[in-house]
Amino acid sequence: MQRIVVDAMGGDLAPEEIVKGAAEASIALADAEIILVGDAATLGGILPRLRHDGARVRVHHASQHVEMDEKPAEAIAAKPDASIVVSAELVAAGEGDAMVSAGNTGASVLACARRWKLIPGVRRAALASVYPTELRRGDRNDPFSLILDCGATIDASAEDLVTFAIMGSAYAGLVSKNRRPRVALLSNGTEAGKGPAAVVAAHQILLEATELNFIGNVEGLDIPRGVADVIVCNGFVGNVVLKMLEGVSETVVRLARYAHKEKLAWRLGLMALSSALSQLKAVTDWQQYGGAPLLGFEHLFIKAHGRSNAHAITNAIKVAAKAHAGDLCGHIARGVADVIARQRPGSPTVEGTA
Amino acid sequence: MSPSGPRHVFRWDLDKTYLRTDFDSFGDLIKSAIETAADKKAYPGATALMRALRAGDGHRVCIISGSPSQMRTVLAAKLALDGVEFDEFVLKNNLKNILRGRFRALRAQIPYKLPALLESRAGFAPAPGETLFGDDAEADAIIYCLYADLVAGVVPMNDLERILLAARAYPDEVERTMAAAERVPRGDVVRRVIIHLDRRSPTAGFRRFGPRLVPVYNYFQAALVLYADGLLDARQVLFIAFEMIDSKQYQLPILANSLQDLIRRNRLAQPTAVKLADELREVARTAPDTVNRPDLPPFEDVARAFTDRVRELKGAPPLPWPETIAPLDYVALVDEEHESRRDRRKRGAGT
Repeated sequence: MQRIVVDAMGGDLAPEEIVKGAAEASIALADAEIILVGDAATLGGILPRLRHDGARVRVHHASQHVEMDEKPAEAIAAKPDASIVVSAELVAAGEGDAMVSAGNTGASVLACARRWKLIPGVRRAALASVYPTELRRGDRNDPFSLILDCGATIDASAEDLVTFAIMGSAYAGLVSKNRRPRVALLSNGTEAGKGPAAVVAAHQILLEATELNFIGNVEGLDIPRGVADVIVCNGFVGNVVLKMLEGVSETVVRLARYAHKEKLAWRLGLMALSSALSQLKAVTDWQQYGGAPLLGFEHLFIKAHGRSNAHAITNAIKVAAKAHAGDLCGHIARGVADVIARQRPGSPTVEGTA
Repeated sequence: MSPSGPRHVFRWDLDKTYLRTDFDSFGDLIKSAIETAADKKAYPGATALMRALRAGDGHRVCIISGSPSQMRTVLAAKLALDGVEFDEFVLKNNLKNILRGRFRALRAQIPYKLPALLESRAGFAPAPGETLFGDDAEADAIIYCLYADLVAGVVPMNDLERILLAARAYPDEVERTMAAAERVPRGDVVRRVIIHLDRRSPTAGFRRFGPRLVPVYNYFQAALVLYADGLLDARQVLFIAFEMIDSKQYQLPILANSLQDLIRRNRLAQPTAVKLADELREVARTAPDTVNRPDLPPFEDVARAFTDRVRELKGAPPLPWPETIAPLDYVALVDEEHESRRDRRKRGAGT
């Protein structure tokens, strides 16, 4: 049985939409227990209005919660009974197997970092995010590639990048059912020697010491093309890339709105394209994908989008349950241990000790 | 059976209440009709519960089901296979309905079940209490509450006629029901209505039926309610839990969550849960073989799981459930039920 701890008070639409999502998941997942953490009286007032399986939903009271705009470290220090803190503690204590939150990202990551242990051999955690691409992948035909890290580890070493590659590959393998995900390092050129020292060294380790389907370096323009299924970079680069891609998408939408207002011919053109555009929206809808996994800890955390509605939360819970059922953290641990064992003396290592 | 007559009557529906049945599509109906007794599956815990209830002194089990009477042999065989004894077994004569061209009656529940309940009740001169078991698939909540209110003398006879007409009853069904209602001895005898949430309907939708009705997600919850009502003892509750765990469809945490859910919904008082835990500890002390089975977690783990679930709520107040209710507008309820059944048919799904 998968026990998924859900921070019921985190997110722009919490707790109503979070509880709705959990209620749906309690019916959709035959072998799961959903542990809702938050104000018990509030949650107890919402649940009876929803179709759900009351035997598969458990409520754990937490008297406080972190607001979306609070400073993470200060909020966590000031609110020891915050729902996100209590959620992370429940998982650490073995009461839950994985955690889902749509709340304050910094506070969520910090709560995990302070209470969970990293997988042996992993020095830094990575937050992975999905981005819609031209190509589809895996048995599920996912139109997304995975980019990690997106901000958990600002400056990653070669060893960190290698563990990110292992983690991303394991995740894509399980969640997208992609048996041999194509893994690439993000750099400023496709040649092995291009890029900062950490990227060059990581390239060498990935080629020599792993059995990943490593396809070498890719450049920024390869991300939306979908050349790789898993794109590895440090948190600084990943964050900049994702924000830029989001900015480009928003600009395209704004330009379309402008065109819609400006000329009748352009408006007609947009109307002709409208069904294709809504199909594109459906395909690239982040709510389908669940959320961004925080990888590297002994437990899985799925960070759902702050604006997540019930559907997105249900999917995040499903992804967490699926990843736990497939022993994602075990796969990562074995992958990292395997690379450590394969390291040749004198070459760069994932432990950084050679 | 007690020599002085029954002390408590338990009335059970079968499909979706005792038996896991799908009849949301024509294919499901066919499948249900050709299944053998061995193919039919009871909900985990339902068999143990029905047996425990029947075992009580002066307890009587009456089954009133909308299944066609042509299925009597196979259904009776299923109950025999499960070791369930009953005192009364009423099924719907759908063949007769077809032959008389009364197609409306094939699906109608109220004009069939209400007179059957009243006629069964009319046989008892003293006033035993009653507990009724149904489900959320059709109109069981409405039928049972209407029956309870009729027996209690709360529903005037002219209102009953309006309700039956709203329920599309044929004239002879109206006449038969009115006659049975006239004859039935009056008394506030229905102690509890338990609705099995087969469709996982929102429990808030049942608030209007008042404190007598308890929607349950499974039969462990039903057992807890009946323990609180004084109709089951702690050991019987435990046996029902064991049957559910044996089914492999329930684990200890799921049963513990079921307890917490009832407490959150204010359908089980915390002191009752504590009393049950104390009595189970006593059972564990005096008859350790009863509770310690090699295939189950140690009793102390079981007790801890349940205590933890209560503690997890940290004293949060349960949801207020109405202690009293205004008289129900059964005509509106019947109309609403027809509407929702039509919607479900339009959607073409059972959910």
